[in-house]
Amino acid sequence: MELTENNKRLIFSAALCLIFFMLLIRFAYVQLYKGDEFLQASEENRLRTIAIEPRRGLIIDRNGTILVDNRPAYALYTTPAELSNPKSDSACNILAAALKTTQQELREHVRRNNRGNFIPIKIERQIDFTTLSLLQERRLDLPGLDFRAESRRAYPAGVKAPHLFGYLSEITESELKQWRDKGYEAGDLIGKKGLERYHEKILHGKKGKRYAQADALGRIVGDLTGTNNQALQNVPPVPGKNLLVSIDASLQRHLETVMTGRRGGAVVLNCKNGEVIALVSKPDYDIELFSKPVTAALWNQLANDPAKPLYDRMVQSLYPPGSTFKMVLVFAGLEKGLIDPDERVFCPGYYRFGTRAFGCWKTGGHGAVNLLQGLEQSCDVYFYRMGLKVGLENWANYARLFGFDELTGIDLIGETAGLVPDEEYLDRRYGKNKWSKGLILNVVIGQGDVLTTPLQMAYFAMTIANEGHSFKPHVKRGAKDPMTGIEEFDQPDSVKIAGIRPETYALVKRGMYMVVHGSHATGRAAQVPGITAAGKTGTAQNPHGESHAWFIGFAPFEDPQIAWCVFLENGGGGGANAAPIAKGIISLLLNENKLVPGPKHFAAAR
Amino acid sequence: MLLRPPEDTLRDLDKIIIVCIFILVAAGLMAIYSATTALYTPEILKGNFAKQVLWFTIGVMIASAVVITPMKFFHKYAYWFYGIGLTLLVLVLFVGSGKGSHRWFVLGPLRLQPSEIAKIATILALARFAASEGVDLRRLKDVAIIFAIVLAPALLIIKEPDLGTAIVFLSLAIPMLFWAGLSPFIIFILLTPMITLVAAFNEVTFFIAMVLVIGTLVWLRARMWIIFAVFLVNIAVGVITPKVWEGMHDYQRDRIRTFVGFEEDLKGSGYQVNQAKVAIGSGGFWGKGWLHGTQTKLRFLPEQHTDFIFTVVGEEFGFFGVSLVMTVFLTLLLRALLIAGSVKSKFTALAVVGCVTAISVHVIVNIGMCVGVMPVTGIPLPFLSYGGSALWTNMVIVGLILNAGVRKFQYL
Repeated sequence: MELTENNKRLIFSAALCLIFFMLLIRFAYVQLYKGDEFLQASEENRLRTIAIEPRRGLIIDRNGTILVDNRPAYALYTTPAELSNPKSDSACNILAAALKTTQQELREHVRRNNRGNFIPIKIERQIDFTTLSLLQERRLDLPGLDFRAESRRAYPAGVKAPHLFGYLSEITESELKQWRDKGYEAGDLIGKKGLERYHEKILHGKKGKRYAQADALGRIVGDLTGTNNQALQNVPPVPGKNLLVSIDASLQRHLETVMTGRRGGAVVLNCKNGEVIALVSKPDYDIELFSKPVTAALWNQLANDPAKPLYDRMVQSLYPPGSTFKMVLVFAGLEKGLIDPDERVFCPGYYRFGTRAFGCWKTGGHGAVNLLQGLEQSCDVYFYRMGLKVGLENWANYARLFGFDELTGIDLIGETAGLVPDEEYLDRRYGKNKWSKGLILNVVIGQGDVLTTPLQMAYFAMTIANEGHSFKPHVKRGAKDPMTGIEEFDQPDSVKIAGIRPETYALVKRGMYMVVHGSHATGRAAQVPGITAAGKTGTAQNPHGESHAWFIGFAPFEDPQIAWCVFLENGGGGGANAAPIAKGIISLLLNENKLVPGPKHFAAAR
Repeated sequence: MLLRPPEDTLRDLDKIIIVCIFILVAAGLMAIYSATTALYTPEILKGNFAKQVLWFTIGVMIASAVVITPMKFFHKYAYWFYGIGLTLLVLVLFVGSGKGSHRWFVLGPLRLQPSEIAKIATILALARFAASEGVDLRRLKDVAIIFAIVLAPALLIIKEPDLGTAIVFLSLAIPMLFWAGLSPFIIFILLTPMITLVAAFNEVTFFIAMVLVIGTLVWLRARMWIIFAVFLVNIAVGVITPKVWEGMHDYQRDRIRTFVGFEEDLKGSGYQVNQAKVAIGSGGFWGKGWLHGTQTKLRFLPEQHTDFIFTVVGEEFGFFGVSLVMTVFLTLLLRALLIAGSVKSKFTALAVVGCVTAISVHVIVNIGMCVGVMPVTGIPLPFLSYGGSALWTNMVIVGLILNAGVRKFQYL
């Protein structure tokens, strides 16, 4: 069988046509049938979504003073490719030395966070200026190094209240689980503690998005071009709102200065709406140190410090309130008709109950005292007698009525509720019938099992001042949108303490007035010429050391504007040590006419 | 005398082939420009467009020289060329360079691939031998000599190693034997073990292949003993191949997989195959437009200006561009076959068939590789891929085809 030249040509040509046609079918399949799929794959290849951090909201005090500001800082980035080759040893050494770490740790960090050899990774945030300039000088020896601006918190008003403000730190893995659906990613900063955390949603704002294109090595090579996908429009970030707080910078600063070197603090509330005007807890820690990443060493040092600087004593810590709690018994006794305010009790300096003698703070005794004198002089014997009359259950009911077993609901992190012991509690704690009736003598003078936070005591003072019309304590007054300039103010949460007659309030307030202005006043150290005030001292015995000094109160007496609680841990006598601090509060706020007439928010609150 | 052109050279040049070449080179230049002007193009690639223009200009001169050279010259020196080609292939194994291989000589700025010279030399030697008086393809000895002619350079090239190019050499034999008059029946019998070799890795495909082979032989009314022999050989290949494969060490198997190009590692050649498909597929019907291919511009494909040049065409000009380029290739090849079918000289016809085969195999293997139906073997696409030495070889091939067309009626 011999083929002609023409047939050979035809067979060869047909074979070529067939193969080319089959290849073309394959192209049709890839380009036409699967075209959209591959187009999407090619878009995914190049598309990079870059988050744009929003500017965090500022914290601004009641007079418009900026308490917490942003200032530019620099984060250090490097390109893994530049550190992964063995020739990079010298660069690695320079970097490790500048960042006070080891070469090993640095390489390990880079290896762990590597998402592509040409994708820059953050190796340190908020480097200080010295480090920055040091690295800038050696830039030529450090290929791949990059600085990116990021914001760092600054405290321009000199108010460095770490417990109040809180701080920012990188989001932890467990937090990420909770916050991821709100757009947070690993490496993002989030408020920890205080206002920064409680109002994170307001302060943070919303991240923006920039769509860029990256090449095969993951390098960003400019904006996304040539796409007609409407969903890929850049989204500008929405800055966080400025937090308008009720703090008065000068009072806060004053109290921070006064409290420096001491343990304890003060809470000052606005009686008209529950605003927190000052909240100081000492000892604390340097908030500036927390505006950049906290080293493990610093953290351990603070966490293990016996002075417990990480605790907000005003909000988180519980203490026996001492004599400042005596008003609770007065309310219970008067309302239940078990105390006759005119009844006189003789105080010989002690009270014998069963086999035990319970002492009065004044060992010489107060002689015969009635209710007002008992309050003014804080006579323990008077209250022992009344406590037995009123009984533990009645007392506990009224303590709960004033909310001592609940949180006040302040907008800070970690608030603790007080402890109001009743029979059920004592049965549980000591066993049924295993506790002596004498325990009631202790709790009615604020000792023993009863525990409160200083914040609760300030809230109690405000409730008395307002005769039951109280407000939830709060630091945030409102928020201001930095884009539109629109300010929005919150309505204060009104809390009504029901079931106490105005006459009862009048009597208690009268007694508290006497504490400051009476002839035997225990709180006379709080007197400010020209301003009437009412208060109650407390000196809570403490089995672990020196007594705690308390002074709660409100002023002016006739039309209360402010209520406070001053607390000194192991501070000794309340009248001698805590009351003078209250004097400073009164004179600073009321003498200098700071609150009346107040900013417009005062009017709004009415 | 030797270099004097026949008077009718210009008139008799095949204009369609020339137009095809210019279209293909133009398409290649556009694609090279696009692939080498990306943002992060390494400095070394930036001048490639201009260089390719220069290479083509030189190539046109080379082709012209080939066209005006009488076919007699190529016939006379065919074996000499073949000898020189083999010598160079041996030499390159000792002094050659390349990426982990010995593929080319470095002569100053030039890289000379002896396999390119050997390709043309082998075509000419095959043509001369098959066209010689007294050669009878019914004789086993003569068929064996033809296989020996392709096998010698192919084995040397495998040693480089450069499997893709070796395949081109091996594939020269069958079409040229076919044209020289070897019975299609024998060609079929020669091809069966190769089909079995590939099919043997799966029982089902092996069974289907065996049924097809034996069925075809029965249909062609082959003699019983031939059917039986073919059956035995195929069974042997089918049984032994998987056994040999399983008997190998893992690293040996990996080497062969990588060698043949079936590696499905997404970071290795699997990555290239995948990105090539993404590039071509994302072009759709009309393509993303010249210089607007994102896969190309952002360098998702290595070697895009050389071996993977067709992905640029696919991405930027779409199915439309792909069909156009393939149609031009087909036109070129069919025109060349038309010349092969009409020349009076058997040597010339066989040389042209060899040239057509070489180009066809390059085009099919390269384009098939880009679109994921052929293994990644690293052979360039004729006229489109960047590179002087490959382009010049192809211009010599075109010169030979045009030469044959001009001297259709000469018997040498």
